[in-house]
Amino acid sequence: MANTMLEVHELTTKYVTRFREDVYAVDHVSLKVEEGRSLGIAGESGCGKSTLALSLMGYYFPPLHYMSGDIIIDGRNISGMNPDDVRKSILGREIAYIPQAAMNALNPTQKIIHFIEDVIQEHDMYVTKKDIYDRARKLFETVGLPAEVLEKYPVELSGGMKQRTVIAVSVLLLPKVLIADEPSSALDVTSQKMVIKMLKQLMEAGFISSMIFITHELPLLYNVTDDIMVMYAGQIVEKAAAQEAVFDPLHPYSKGLMGSIIVPEKGLRDVKLTAIPGVPPNLKKPPMGCRFAERCKLAKPECRVTSVPLRDAGNGRTYRCILSENELREAYAREASQNAK
Amino acid sequence: MFRQSRDMAVHYLNVRCRVKGYWKYFLNKLGWFLITFVFAFLLNFILPRLMPGDPVAAIVSRLAQGMSNASGVQAIYQQYADLFGTNKPMLEQFFLYMRNVVHGDFGLSFSQYPRPVSEVLKASIGWTIALQFPAIIVGWLIGNTLGALAAYLKGSFDKILMPVSIFISNLPQFGMAVILLVVFAVNLKWFPTSGGYGFDLLPSFTWPFIWSVITHYQLPFWSIVLIAIGGQAIGMRSMAIYELNADYVKYSRFMGIKDRKIIGYVFRNAMLPQITGLALSIGTMVGGALVAEIIFSYPGLGTTLLNGVMGQDYPLISASTLIITVMVLTANFLLEILYGIIDPRIKAAQAD
Repeated sequence: MANTMLEVHELTTKYVTRFREDVYAVDHVSLKVEEGRSLGIAGESGCGKSTLALSLMGYYFPPLHYMSGDIIIDGRNISGMNPDDVRKSILGREIAYIPQAAMNALNPTQKIIHFIEDVIQEHDMYVTKKDIYDRARKLFETVGLPAEVLEKYPVELSGGMKQRTVIAVSVLLLPKVLIADEPSSALDVTSQKMVIKMLKQLMEAGFISSMIFITHELPLLYNVTDDIMVMYAGQIVEKAAAQEAVFDPLHPYSKGLMGSIIVPEKGLRDVKLTAIPGVPPNLKKPPMGCRFAERCKLAKPECRVTSVPLRDAGNGRTYRCILSENELREAYAREASQNAK
Repeated sequence: MFRQSRDMAVHYLNVRCRVKGYWKYFLNKLGWFLITFVFAFLLNFILPRLMPGDPVAAIVSRLAQGMSNASGVQAIYQQYADLFGTNKPMLEQFFLYMRNVVHGDFGLSFSQYPRPVSEVLKASIGWTIALQFPAIIVGWLIGNTLGALAAYLKGSFDKILMPVSIFISNLPQFGMAVILLVVFAVNLKWFPTSGGYGFDLLPSFTWPFIWSVITHYQLPFWSIVLIAIGGQAIGMRSMAIYELNADYVKYSRFMGIKDRKIIGYVFRNAMLPQITGLALSIGTMVGGALVAEIIFSYPGLGTTLLNGVMGQDYPLISASTLIITVMVLTANFLLEILYGIIDPRIKAAQAD
């Protein structure tokens, strides 16, 4: 049995808006990532994916606030810790983050090596600059970045290079969990591929022990991660192995999401793309019952009244719907045969 | 062996090209500096001389008061016209002027005859620099600190500071000077209304004189500082807010870097455009104080220039405007050259 690297239990965080309204962008989310595994998080824009990424760091600043729940990294619960201790001993060291727009994630007036010095000195006061340089050079060479990058300013690097530099800096302290928030969304396809390859390499070489990968590009998730979790309106709606989540989704939202993208496999030409009508609900006033009911083709009157718990479908698979596995599968089969006519 | 020497040659060429790129940039800027200077020099000479009226006649009429002998007056006029060179053709005057300026000779002042222009300027430029330089530095420092604090603290501090800064920075300089003058000099009588020191004192290193200089200094000083604070605070606040929300701030936070250090990054970056402002205001320092100096009759270059214009004193006007021109141009030139060293983004653009 592999060690559990990250375990999150019923984590709830909220945004406080300028008008003092509470927006629960992450609502009782639980998840678990084991050593050597990667978890993908999918969902539309505004579903709380990025907020979940920020919340997992255990280090909150306005407008994001912690409400309840536990974040346990390699057996250590960090959610009750004093923020300054989290900063010194957890961030970068145990859990690291690659931001959405990593292109702008480096201070434009600082050489890369000076930023690395700042990062390492924050966690380890007694290292010399020479040691830091050697360590950084070794890491950069391992991940295929030229050592000259260290002596450069961010403006002197290309977009893909900047992205890979940010990733290299993030894993400098060998974190147990790496959270990558759409690390490839602003890049061209070639650079995307290099970034993905680099992340996989880092996992294999043991620079990171586990990874959470957030994106709205499902084909990418299918290729990169072991498991996929689908989020909707701040809640988990389905969690399954990547293969199952993409080709055999259970929750109507996952089904809609997977139906609206092209997976370049299995008779692509016959697949008809469909869109999910409507927009996600306003989380200032979340609906009483199922949050997806408004947009769901299979919704029944009782869906809008009672909140729906996550159901276990075996094999570590969970989904949030009042219909049973069989009822859902039948409905999908009916729909497919109708479309075929 | 061959490969090695070829690699070295390539490296050498690369380095040379980069250096050459910077040289080209430098020479280009220097060229523009010289062209601007030549035109400014020409205008400095021509414009004062386009004023209607004859300054020599004014001096002669002052000297010849009560003289009835017309040919005597004529002789005096001739003598002064020869002395100042105003009876020569304009082109010849220009070349004479140019030759003299090169030798550091700005001629004799018409209005304060027989004092040479250089002496008049020497007496006044010290007052101007002593007034302006500290005012610019103090205004810049206070303004930037307040702006940065407003961006960082937000809340009520920001909500009070901003409208006040916008109001103050949009007051014209003479408006601020007059308000301070009326409130603190005329009504409250805390400070004297005009001059660089008391009229009844002679310049010396004695306590009464130094105290008098200090009290006379306050109103013109604050009239410049207050306006500078407002403008700098507004600029710094918006730059700092922009930088505080930059992605690198969030990333640095999540890499565990302490807030104090991140604020250091942010303010260094927000400061860069503000340094341009500082260099420019130091460059325009001499010209910038005109209004405050004139309103408070401060014995600096501004008041001297005003007197020069009133007395149609060509040499004095040309020399003061030449000093202002040279300072503005030099400040701009140095700024463009130095900015590349402070900001790597500019350096990268220059190398192209």
